Amino acid sequence: MTITREQAAARRAGVAAAARIIDGVKVYGQGATAVRALDSISADFAVGRFTAIMGPSGSGKSTLLHCLAGLDRLTTGRVLVGDVDLGSLDDKAMTLLRRERIGFVFQAFNLVPTLTAAENVVLPLTLGGHKPDRVWVDRLARSLGIADRLGHRPAELSGGQQQRVATARALVTRPDLIFADEPTGNLDSRSATELLTQIRRAVDEYGQTVVMVTHDPRAAAYADRVLFLADGRVVRELPDPTADRILDAIRELGEQGAE
Amino acid sequence: MWRVTLKGVLAHRLRYALTALAVLLGVAFIAGTYVLTDTINSTFNGLYTQIYQGTGAVVRARQAFNPGASFTSQREQIDATMASTVARVPGVKAVALGVEGYAQLVGRNGKPIGVASNGPPTLGVAWTDVAALNPLRMLPGGSPPRTSTQVVIDKHSADVGHLRVGDRVVVLTKARPATYTITGIVTWGSADSPLGATITAFTPATAEQVLGQPGKVDEISVEAAPGVSQSDLVSRLHAAIHNPKIEVVSGQAVTAEGQQSVHQALSVINVFLLVFAFIALFVGSFVIFNTFSISVAQRMRELALLRAVGASRRQVMGSVLGESLVIGVLASAAGVAAGIGLAAVLKAGLAALGFDLPATGLVVGLRTVAVGLVVGTVITLVSAVAPARRAGRIPPVAALQDVAAEPRQLSARRVARGAIVTAGGAAVLGLGLFGHTGSRIVEVGAGAGVVFLGVALLGPLVARPVSHLLGAPLAMRGTTGKLAQQNAMRNPARTAATAAALMVGVTLVSFMTILASSTKASVNSIIDSAVRADFVLSNGGIAGGSSGFSPDIERSLNALPQVSATEGIRSGIVQLYGKTTPVVATDPVQASRLFDIGVTQGRLASMTPTGIAVSTQAATDRHLRIGSQIAVTYPTTGRKTYTVQVIYSVRELAGDYVLPLAAAQANFPQALDIDVFVKLAPGVSASAGQHAIHGVLAAYPNVTLMDQTQYKAQQEQQVNQMLNLIYGLLALAVVIALIGIANTLALSIYERTRELGLLRAVGTTRGQLRSMVRSESLVISLLGAVQGLVLGVLFGWAIVAALHSQGITHLVFPVEQLLVLAALAGLAGIAAAIAPSRRAARLNVLHAVTTE
Repeated sequence: MTITREQAAARRAGVAAAARIIDGVKVYGQGATAVRALDSISADFAVGRFTAIMGPSGSGKSTLLHCLAGLDRLTTGRVLVGDVDLGSLDDKAMTLLRRERIGFVFQAFNLVPTLTAAENVVLPLTLGGHKPDRVWVDRLARSLGIADRLGHRPAELSGGQQQRVATARALVTRPDLIFADEPTGNLDSRSATELLTQIRRAVDEYGQTVVMVTHDPRAAAYADRVLFLADGRVVRELPDPTADRILDAIRELGEQGAE
Repeated sequence: MWRVTLKGVLAHRLRYALTALAVLLGVAFIAGTYVLTDTINSTFNGLYTQIYQGTGAVVRARQAFNPGASFTSQREQIDATMASTVARVPGVKAVALGVEGYAQLVGRNGKPIGVASNGPPTLGVAWTDVAALNPLRMLPGGSPPRTSTQVVIDKHSADVGHLRVGDRVVVLTKARPATYTITGIVTWGSADSPLGATITAFTPATAEQVLGQPGKVDEISVEAAPGVSQSDLVSRLHAAIHNPKIEVVSGQAVTAEGQQSVHQALSVINVFLLVFAFIALFVGSFVIFNTFSISVAQRMRELALLRAVGASRRQVMGSVLGESLVIGVLASAAGVAAGIGLAAVLKAGLAALGFDLPATGLVVGLRTVAVGLVVGTVITLVSAVAPARRAGRIPPVAALQDVAAEPRQLSARRVARGAIVTAGGAAVLGLGLFGHTGSRIVEVGAGAGVVFLGVALLGPLVARPVSHLLGAPLAMRGTTGKLAQQNAMRNPARTAATAAALMVGVTLVSFMTILASSTKASVNSIIDSAVRADFVLSNGGIAGGSSGFSPDIERSLNALPQVSATEGIRSGIVQLYGKTTPVVATDPVQASRLFDIGVTQGRLASMTPTGIAVSTQAATDRHLRIGSQIAVTYPTTGRKTYTVQVIYSVRELAGDYVLPLAAAQANFPQALDIDVFVKLAPGVSASAGQHAIHGVLAAYPNVTLMDQTQYKAQQEQQVNQMLNLIYGLLALAVVIALIGIANTLALSIYERTRELGLLRAVGTTRGQLRSMVRSESLVISLLGAVQGLVLGVLFGWAIVAALHSQGITHLVFPVEQLLVLAALAGLAGIAAAIAPSRRAARLNVLHAVTTE
C-alpha cells in the first residue's frame, strides 16, 4: 500500500481533515418527545490519525459516528468526507461513497453468514464489480492472521477471527476513513488486544484514518486522541491518551456532570 | 392462553395477511362456484315454474330410458291427431301442440346466431295461441306467426343479431334454409332467452314440417279446466288415451323435470370448478404450512419464554393452532364474501360468452357459507399442525440461548417418510391409471395429491443442490447473484416448501400440456391414416350432442359431378350393456370408400340395416364375434337387436360401435348430420372441388368446409379450447403459489434485517438489494418449475400410457412450450419479489445495523 500523493502532502502539512463535522445537529422525534442527540457539534478528523470517541450512553457518540459515516443524516449542519458534503448526496451516491471511501467494523453481526471469509473481505469491491487485488488481499489476510481461515463461513470462525475478517474488509478498498463501533465489545480481552493492535498498525503502516466509538478506556488508549462527548457536544479532547489518563478524564467529567 | 394467541395474531398481522389471502382466494373460488350455480339453479327453478304455470298435463311418447340433460327431446313423436282426442276429455280446457327441433337464425351480418358446438342450443318451436300453455311472451309491438313464412324470435337473439319486427331473416333447419318475416319478439317466461339459447317459433304446421315431420308432434300440452286438479286431469287423460306407448305427466312433474335437467348440467360444472378450487386450496395449504413454520422458527425465543414461565407443551402448541384457527376463520369469512363478488364477475363472464342469465339477485345459500367456512378453516388448521407440534417441542432453555432460525439437518426419518409417501401416492396413481377398478378419477386425483406431499417432504433434499445449480449463472454474474443463490440455499426446508406450492401448479400445467399435445398428435395421425376424404363439413357438433345441420346438404353435394362420394355422420344416445353412451351411425357403403377404420373381419360395404360394426377392443371386452347379437336400447324406440357384421381396429374416429344409417333414421328423432365427409371425383382438382362445394354451402352459413389440414386444425382447436380453460382455472393455484413466494421472501427479509443493514452499510445500493431479492425469488420459482416439470413429464407419460387404448397413441413432449412454462414461472417469481424487494431496499440502514 502506498499513500496517495495528496494524502502524503496532507500528512506533511498536518492540516487536511479526512472528515469534518460542522455545527452538526441531530434531533430525533418531534415536539415534546424530541431528543437532541447532537447539539451543534464540530470536530475534525485528520488524515492518518486514530480517534476514539467516548461518552456515557445517550451522549451522542454512536449518532456522531453514524452521521460521519453516511449511515444517517444530520438535521442541520454539515459533514464533509474529504471535500464531499454528505448533505448533497442522494442515497445512491451515499451508498457508493460508503462502498468506496469508508470502511466499517461493527460490534456484532459484521459478516454476511452465507459468504465465506474471503468473499466477505472483498465484498465492497465485488459489489462495485471490481476485481480484487489478490496480492493486497493476501497481504491483508496474512497481516491480520486470517490467511488460513479465508475459505470458512463466519459460523465456523471465532468472534475474534470474525472481527479480523471484518477489519480486513474495512481495509480492502483502501478507504479514506474507517469507522469502528465498539469493535471489541463482544471479544475476550486477548482477542480485543489483537484486534486493536491490527487497527493501530493500519493507521501506522497504511496511513489509515480511523474513528472508533468505545466505552473501554483500554481500547481508547490505542488511539491518537480521545474525544469525550456529553449531551451531544464535545466536552473534552485528550491527545496521546493512556488508559489511566482516560479514566481520570472520565472521573473528572463525571464530577463536573454531578455538580 | 387465548389472550396470548390473539395478541400473537395481532402483533404479526402483516405476515399473516398474505397467508390469509392464500386461504381467502381458495375459499372465494369455492363460494363463488356455489353462489353462481345456486343462482342459475334458482333462476331456472323460477323460470320453469313460470312457464309451466298454466300447464296441467303433458301427453307424450314414453322413453325407454332418460338419456340425460338435453334441450332437444329424445322421444318418439306422436300423431298430431291425438290432440283432438285429448281436447275432448272432460276437464281439458285447451291443448297446444309441442314441436321442437333445430332452428338457427342467421343474423344481419350473414353469420348464424349462437354457437352450435358447445354454446347454448338453437331451438325451433311451435307457437301456440293458448296463453296458459305458451312459455313465450310477446313483447309489445309484435304479433304471433300466422303464415308459413312468419316467425317470432327471442329477445336475446334479436339483440345479438340486430333483428327487429318486420325484418326478413334466414332460418336454418333440417329442411332447406328459408326466409321468414319476423312478426314479433318474445321472452321465455320473464327471461330474454333460457341461458342464451336462441328460439324461433313457427306456426304449428310449419314447425311440424321444418323441425320434425308433418302430422307428428313431440308432445301435447293440456290446460286444465277450472276446478280440475292435475292428478285428476292426468288420470282422465290416461284413461282416454289408453296407449302403453304414450305417457301422461302432470304439469308439476314436467316443471320438476326441467328444473332437474338444469340441476344435472350445473352439478357437472360445479364439480369441475370445485376440483380447481380444491387444487387452489391444496396449494394454499403449502403457503400456510410455510408461514407457520417460519413464524415458529422466528419466535423460538418468545415461545421458549412462554414455556419457561410455565406454559405446558400443549399450551404452546395450542397457541400456535389457535392462531391458525383465528386466521382460518377470518380468511374463510372474507373468502365467502369475496366469492359472492367473484360469482357476480363469473356471471358477467358467462354473459360475455353468450350464456346470458336473467338479471336476478345472487343466491347465497347456507351451504355456501358453511362449506366455505369449514373447508377454509380446517385446511388452515391442518396445515398448521406440524409447525405447532414443532413449537411445542421447543425446550424452555431456548429462551436463554441465542438460537438463530438456522436450518436443521434433514432427518433420515423425514427422508424415509417422504419416500414412503411418494411411493404410496405413485402406487395409488398407477392403480387409478392402469387398474380396472371403479372410481379411477378419485384414485388418480388422490394419488397425485399424495405424490405432491411426498415430493414436498423430499424437497429439502434436492432444494440445496438444485438451487445451487440454478443460481450458478447468477452467482457468476456478481456478488448480488451469489448472495441470492446462497440465500436460496441457506434454508432448504423453507425454500423447498415455498417451491413446492409452485411445483403443484407447474406440474398440472405441464401435465395438461403434454396430454393435449399427445392428444393432438394422435388425432392428427389417425386423420392422416384413416380419413380418405378430401373435405369435411362440420358445424362443430359433437357425437351425442343436439346440434348438427340439414341432411339436404349431403344430398346436394352427392348430386355434384365433382363429387364421387359423400358420407353423413349422425349421432345419438343409446344404452349398450346398461351404459348410456353416444354412438354414431352412417352409411356403411360410403364409409368403406371414405375411411380406413382398419376392418379386421367382415366388410363394411356388405353391412345390412340390422348389422352393427364393433371395435376389436369392444369385441374382446364383450366376447363378440361376427354373428354375435347386441341389444341396443334407444330412448325413443326402446330395445333393438343387431348382429355383429364388422370388426374394426381404429376406434379413435367412431368409438366402439357404429350403427347403419337406417338405424339412425328410425331411432334418432333429430335427423341431422354432425359431419359430412366428401371425396372428389377422380381428376377433379381440390380448388375446383372446393368451388363446387362452396356453391352448395352458400345457403348454409352454419356449416364450415375444411380440407384435411383444416380439419386437423379444427380438432386441435377443440383441444386447445379445453386446454386454455384449464390453464385459466389453474392460474389461481399459480397465483397462490406466488403469494407464498412473496410471503416467504418477506418473512426472510424480516429475519435478515441486520444482515441487509450490514450489506447496505458496506456499500450495497438499493438497486443491488432489490436485484438480490428478485434473484432469490427467481431461484426459488425455478426450483418449483423444475420439480413441477419433472413431475408433469412423469404424470404426462403415465396418463398417455394409460390412455393408449383410448386412442392417445403418440406421446409428445412439447419441449418449447415446457421451456416457455419454466421461463414464465421464473418471470412470475421475479414479479412476486417486487413488493418484498422494495421493502428490503427501503430498510433503514441505521435501524438495521443497530437492531438488537
